[in-house]
Amino acid sequence: MSVDRGNVKILVFACRWCGLIGADGAGRKRIELPASYRVIPVDCAGYVEPDAVIRAFASGATGVAVLGCHVGGCRFNDANHPALKRLELLKTLLDTTGIGGNRLLLGFGTAHESHQYADMILEFHRAMESMPSMASWLPQGQ
Amino acid sequence: MLEQVKQKAREILEQKQAEGVLGLKKGLWDVIHPHVFSTPSEIDALVLEPKWLLAKMARALLREQPQNWRLAVVVRGCDERALVELVKRNQIDRERLLTVGYACEANQAKTCLCSRPYPQKLDAGSAVEGVDPFADERVKAYLEGDAGERIERWAAQLKRCIKCYGCRNSCPICVCVPCKLEDDVWVERGVIPAEMVSFHHIRAFHLSDTCVACGACQEACPVGIPLMTLQLSMRAALKKDYNYEAGLDANRKSPVLFDFVKEPRPGQDVPDWVNSMGEKK
Amino acid sequence: MSKISLFLCNCFGEIGRVIDLEFIRKKFEADPDVDSVTIVDSLCMPDDAAKAQVLTRERRIGKVLIGACSPYGKMEFVRLGLAKEGAAVRAVDLREGCAWIHGKDPEGATRKAANQIDMELALLQNRKDSKDLTLRVQQEVLVIGAGPAGLSAACGLARLGFRTHLVDRGSAPGGLLNVVKKVYPTDEPGPGKIKNLVDETGENPLIRFYGKTKISSVKGYAGDFKVKLTGPEGNTALRVGAVVLATGARILFPQGLYGYGKIKNVITQMEIERRFATGALNCKTAVFIQCVGARNAERPYCSTICCPLSLKNAMRVMDENPGARAYVLHRDIMTPGSVLEAYYRKAMQRGVQFIRFDAERPPEVRGQEQVSGVEVFDSISGVSRVIDSDLLVLSTPFVADPESAAIARMFEIPVDKYGFYEEVYPIHPVETRNDGIFICGTSRWPVSSDQAIAQGEAAAIKAASFLGKETVSALAMSRVPGGKLGHAAADAAACTGCGNCVAVCPYKACRLQRTGNRSVSRVIKVRCKACGNCVAVCPNGAMQMPEQNYRVTGEMIRRAFREVR
Repeated sequence: MSVDRGNVKILVFACRWCGLIGADGAGRKRIELPASYRVIPVDCAGYVEPDAVIRAFASGATGVAVLGCHVGGCRFNDANHPALKRLELLKTLLDTTGIGGNRLLLGFGTAHESHQYADMILEFHRAMESMPSMASWLPQGQ
Repeated sequence: MLEQVKQKAREILEQKQAEGVLGLKKGLWDVIHPHVFSTPSEIDALVLEPKWLLAKMARALLREQPQNWRLAVVVRGCDERALVELVKRNQIDRERLLTVGYACEANQAKTCLCSRPYPQKLDAGSAVEGVDPFADERVKAYLEGDAGERIERWAAQLKRCIKCYGCRNSCPICVCVPCKLEDDVWVERGVIPAEMVSFHHIRAFHLSDTCVACGACQEACPVGIPLMTLQLSMRAALKKDYNYEAGLDANRKSPVLFDFVKEPRPGQDVPDWVNSMGEKK
Repeated sequence: MSKISLFLCNCFGEIGRVIDLEFIRKKFEADPDVDSVTIVDSLCMPDDAAKAQVLTRERRIGKVLIGACSPYGKMEFVRLGLAKEGAAVRAVDLREGCAWIHGKDPEGATRKAANQIDMELALLQNRKDSKDLTLRVQQEVLVIGAGPAGLSAACGLARLGFRTHLVDRGSAPGGLLNVVKKVYPTDEPGPGKIKNLVDETGENPLIRFYGKTKISSVKGYAGDFKVKLTGPEGNTALRVGAVVLATGARILFPQGLYGYGKIKNVITQMEIERRFATGALNCKTAVFIQCVGARNAERPYCSTICCPLSLKNAMRVMDENPGARAYVLHRDIMTPGSVLEAYYRKAMQRGVQFIRFDAERPPEVRGQEQVSGVEVFDSISGVSRVIDSDLLVLSTPFVADPESAAIARMFEIPVDKYGFYEEVYPIHPVETRNDGIFICGTSRWPVSSDQAIAQGEAAAIKAASFLGKETVSALAMSRVPGGKLGHAAADAAACTGCGNCVAVCPYKACRLQRTGNRSVSRVIKVRCKACGNCVAVCPNGAMQMPEQNYRVTGEMIRRAFREVR
């Protein structure tokens, strides 16, 4: 089973509030992170539809991270609760087919916890390095 | 059991509780097909076999008839659940729908690996015990093993998909026009086999909280992909976390649509960057 | 499809040091979607900023993409400055999000920068604009409840010049204060405390009071609520821009606690008020027990008023019955602020006795038909005492008024676990999830009449500032700095009417509308806050946010890891 060590691709959906501000804080502190992730900013983690996560995997992503605010602290009054619930359910489906629910990281935190944000991304990157290849799933050339 | 159903169906027509009864008819040359019986005498030709899901047909019929036209449907357990889900999603007006429910026999339950082979409103036949699909060897083969093994097994199956859309077309819940599975953004068009990850995962997830385990998708698949098995773990998770089963209560919408305050998930490990003691995760 | 102009900021080398800007320039100059690429040293500094603005204006550039620092710094100002020139401007974070965080991997950072810019180009090319809605804000206000909070809100609004409709289910204004003879800490009579407000209600022509009136139906949204009132004179239909809910709370009856209802002379604070009022209070020793049915698992909150209330009543017992004694059995004495603290000391000096007990070991009442005494375990001295007494007063908390739930449903605001109206806590005091509905007083949570009056004024100011706008655009109705992203909108032809969006929206902004024999979802623009949940649960993508629609997301995903050579 070949391993995607050098070719980790993580797609991060970060909410404009805690997710992106956390990332911004980590950048300001010059914390070093591997350049394996790309960020799609969204207004709220509630916007992230499971189909987008699936599409990311179908397009070759090794892992997907959805970053939002603490469950009690959503700017949009608990809009992140349903997001959390449906993405947790998506993990069950990913587990069934072997893609693995652990390829989907759900991180709900606070804007100012930038060290924790950095640690989380780093840990996720490391975990993705040892994931089995998804080559059999994808059409040739990806 | 057949006589009981026929009796009930005739009553409905005689008492004008509905304008038509949708069921299976043994017609010309003994060909069995769905039919809307509109007079009590027609009911003589009603049959109950083979398993044939009528929910989607009921929806289509009700849509093209005027508002005061009511329909009674002869249903098995899975059909009734499908109707409940359609009512929940505002596809069928419950005021216009009646059901005549009959139980499935034990072999049918075993063939379908059905855990609930009887409708909630049972008018004929006696309910047999359901079968636990997770105990079946064929199902276990697809759900066990480590991640790598499962990927290989599922990929081998899904690679055979010819994108006939039979699964989507036969599923009683799938009514969307346009459908995401036909949209280039989500699933690449003109590619056979279908993009495995996007087509099948999108379809399976859209049904995550409304799949009623009727088996229509699996029966429709010309290459025999075990599509029902795809849904089983999600159904089990919903039952365990929220005590929710699709198709039982027309007044209870999927718990995934509400927030924790309204539909809490007991023992939920909420992912946090930092736990309350300030320790790093 | 019009082309995009790309401005890359070197940030005095902070970005250029890590990311190969020349490589990026060459790559995107060859991109068919890009019109021109300009690298400047510092987009936020006056020279370069002006240069960029002039360029945008003169070449009539319609779409601009900035690659610079993060939006939480100066970049947002730069973006807004360029947007003023009439262009649609988006930005990519190349500094905090790329150069600074991948400082040790210039190659990786450059690749990432190229991908992120590519993704944002896809967004600019595929995004659409939401249709906005301008709303005339009705210049009248409805205040429901004429207790101290409601009166204060109504007078506040009327003073600011707004026509106010003040509704109460009782025949006269005043609420609970009408039955209180003396209010702590000044001992003034209850009605006297709010006399000024009540008089103003009668004198100010802008306030109309409706007694014995209830709300029968509510429709509409912020700026235009259509409310029907039902009163002794029949129905009234109102159109108001904002509503203030000051519907109050009631005191809990402690059935089953401390022998209440079974043993005589075990009473609540309301009943002792009545006895004082009718002069029927005769006792030798009064014992007050605090936190009855409060600060426990069922109601883990403090009701604010009971401690000062007991101090007041304990002192009154001693004043009106010479030689009488008063005991206050408490878990904590909650008297915040200097005035109430002084009141506490006054009670102590007056001779009121205070005994502290623990929640795990509450006092026990003695007596069969009549109360004869109370046994209490003094948690500070560790000694159990029996106090002979002939009057036991139980301090019970405020609980939600039984009509609150119905009112909350009509106005579509959530209530918390205890039945009080839910506020957007903590960042928007007195506001609720439904814009234009404000809450104050004990219906929000237990407060004293002073606090209720203050909250009423707060609600008045907030309602007034909302009304003062006369017209408001739905896109501007956002509590979010930077404004709303847009509004969700459902394609009526594609919508199946499944109702997922209706169920998931935290603001109840989605409605199903019946057209022919199907239902179709409609978004109330004024309520939509663009959180995106409705889009995420729509089974076939009929519901979309035009500014970040599914084509945008799909393209961004596809371009995220495109090879960069």
